[in-house]
Parts: sequence; structure tokens; C-alpha cells
Amino acid sequence: MRVYDIMVRDVTAVTKDETVGNVLKIMSSQLLAGIPVVSEDMRVIGFASENDIIKAVVPSYFSLLQSTSFIPDMNQFLRNAILIKDKPISEYMTHPPIVVNENAMLVHVADIMIRHNTKAIPVVDDQGRLVGVVNRTNILKAAMEGAL
Amino acid sequence: MKVITVTLNPALDREFVIEDFHINELHRVAHYRDIMMSPGGKGINVSIALAKLGVQSIAIGILGGYVGRVLLAELSKLSPLISTSFVHIDQETRENISIIDPRNHTLTEINSPGPVVEKHALDLLLKRYEIFLSRAEMVVLSGSLPPNLHGDVYGVLAKTAKQRGKQVFMEVADQYIKLALQIQAPDIIKPDVREKSVVLGKELATLDDYVQAAIELVKMGCKMAVISYQIKSDIVATTDGVWLITTPLDIEISNLLGAGDAYMAAMVYKKFSSPNSDLLEVAKFGYAAALAKTKKLPKQMPEYDEIVGCLQDCQVEKLR
Repeated sequence: MRVYDIMVRDVTAVTKDETVGNVLKIMSSQLLAGIPVVSEDMRVIGFASENDIIKAVVPSYFSLLQSTSFIPDMNQFLRNAILIKDKPISEYMTHPPIVVNENAMLVHVADIMIRHNTKAIPVVDDQGRLVGVVNRTNILKAAMEGAL
Repeated sequence: MKVITVTLNPALDREFVIEDFHINELHRVAHYRDIMMSPGGKGINVSIALAKLGVQSIAIGILGGYVGRVLLAELSKLSPLISTSFVHIDQETRENISIIDPRNHTLTEINSPGPVVEKHALDLLLKRYEIFLSRAEMVVLSGSLPPNLHGDVYGVLAKTAKQRGKQVFMEVADQYIKLALQIQAPDIIKPDVREKSVVLGKELATLDDYVQAAIELVKMGCKMAVISYQIKSDIVATTDGVWLITTPLDIEISNLLGAGDAYMAAMVYKKFSSPNSDLLEVAKFGYAAALAKTKKLPKQMPEYDEIVGCLQDCQVEKLR
């Protein structure tokens, strides 16, 4: 089975100049874990995920800690959140983005998701233009139907 | 993604088929098959009709709340040829209720006003629209607007598309037409006269009123104007003349729901598949699609062969 058969055909995206605050609003209102960043001709130039934004806000040593209770200064988190709210998403997005072609086999996509620990990947056509998004649930559902 | 359909006030359509429907009475619907729930709003309906004709489209607009999510979930199940990108807001998307009575051949419709759309949501939509225009050849602007928006929104959308060399199709009620056309005339306009036979502020009563209104729309810059006349006929005006398209067949009134959207989609299809088609041929193909739609159940859009089959039942008469 190919990505085309199972992808979500929602092409909601933002441009690189969109503010982090607005990107979060869109992700929140559409229940998205991440959103593709596109050029004016819809080529995918980046991907902004919850993780990208969290990384920008929390202190860099956060990933080494087992619990947030070890963070000595929670105010630093809040200060950073306010600080980046009006910054362009291009400063925090993952780029170059991980994308898959709409004709890619699902096994290949599953492998990418596991290796890069991503929840969703933008799907592009042969010109690199956004045509949809494939997420973990799509892959798992296909796997359970024996269609991977 | 060949066509962008814009639905600024979508609806979750609820249809009830009730034999012998009367107001002020309790009706129990016997079968689930007589209760239907489907994504609606004129632009979305055009996307669904285009998918039946094998044309890719992207449906964009404003969706709100829980009802909006249900609508999107239902829409995403319909066809791989429909992509979506709706701006989501908190207020609930409206629900439109239709009661179809096959025994008495009546169609009763109750359409809600829809949510208030704030400026930032509209700005976000306009931004996305500009991006999607890079990949589309045609734009369909149709349907009602949320209560706080006015016809100038359609004018801005049409102008943005025309500036990028795209063809614009518009089907809207008269209350939006003047403001929209002051900013930008679409290529093809089909005033929505289901509720009121009024075009450009004038009540249409005689055949001549319809002809004059269609001519006026062409003078305002539209390449073609199509106005529904006495339910089963249409007045078509271009710079080359004015025609009446009709059929000798009897029309099933209770199946009219969605006929206008099938009409619009078929015109888009014809323009898309045969770019050099004569505009009258485009209108005739649209008319045949609407005729084919009236032979189907509510909201089921016609296939290509069904439309072609209806072309022989179309009669065209030159009026001017």
C-alpha cells in the first residue's frame, strides 16, 4: 500500500513568516501535533511540531532531567514562551523537513517515523508540493488491516 | 488540486425524508436510510460534484466547533479527489435542515445563519487562499456568508484570483452581488434566486426582467450570466446574445436540492476539460447536469454519463 491510499488530505500549512503564537493557535484549533511550512508555491520548506516549540522554550538541559520538578526556575520557561510568541516560525521549525512522496510505500514511511520519532510527516508530489499529511495512526491502522 | 472551492459559511446538512409532511404534527422517521447527514454549503457541494466528474479540488473556508469537526470528518471520507484546508474557529458551524416529502413533492428547507467570523480568521483564510491559488486554475465562490461578512469579501477573493490569471465562478444571493462586482466581476455568475427572484436589487417577474438582469450582469464585466427562470429554465447571457435553456421534461421538485451546485460543477468541468468551449455550450452542460441531478436522490451528484444523457433533453432558444 502507498501513502496516497491512507494519507489525510488536509493541506493546512503556514508560511515561514507566520508567528509562533499563530502557529500554535492553528495547531490547537485543528488538533494538530505539527504543521507543514510551505513556500508561496506550496513546496514544503519546513515542519513545525510541538517538539520544536517545546525545545525552544524549555532550558536546554531539560532533556537530561527525569522530572520537571528538577527545573530550578519555572519562570525561565514562561519568559521564553512569551519571548518567542511573536518570532517567525522559520526560526524554530525543522528544516530541511522530513517529507515522503505520495507514491512511497507505507513500510518505508513507518521506518522513517520510527527512526526519526515523528508523529506526522508531510506528503508531497513529485514537485515537492504539499498534498497531505500521514500520521502514526494512519500507519498503525493500515498495519492492523494487514495492508502495510 | 485544479479547482479551489470557497465555502465561508459551510453547514452540516441534515435531510429527513418524510412521507406526507405537515407542519404542527409529530412525524416519526421509520428508517435510518431516510435520515441523512452530509457536509454541505454550496462550495463544498461543488467539490463533491466535481469529484464525481473526476476533477480534483481543494475545499477551503471556515469551520467551527464540534459541528465543524464532524463536517470535516464526513467530507474527508467522500473522495480522494477532495483536499481540504479550513480555518477553525470556536463558534459552531451551522446545521441546515431539509425535509423532503416525496408524496406531496415538497422540499422544506431551514437554513441557520452560521457563526460570527472574526477578522483574524478571515485574514488567515485569505493568506491560505493566496498560497493555494498557485496550484489552481479555477475558483468557485458560492453560498451564503456568515452574518457579519458582506459581499465585498467575494469581490476581494475574485480580484485576488483574477490578478493571478485564474477563472472565477460565482453563485451567490443578490445581497452580495453588487458589493462583490464593484470590486471584481467573476467570469461566470449564477445569481442564487432560490429564496428571492431579485437580481441587482430588482424584482424579477417577467421573462424580460430576467433577460435585462442577465444583460446587466454581463455589462458589469461577467463573461456569462446564468439566471434560473421558473424553476426548470435558465436565461443565459453573454456578449454574443441571450438564450433560454429549458426542457420538455417534468422536474421532480423534491430532488432539486443540490441541482444548482451540480450545475456550477458541470460548468467548471466543461471549462476545464474543453477550455475552448463556447460559453453557451458550457451553460448547456451545466443545465444538463442540473437536470440529471433532479433524477437522483437528494444530494447525490450526477456522473458524467448521466449528464451527457440529459443533453438531448435540453432545448436552447435564442432570445436576443
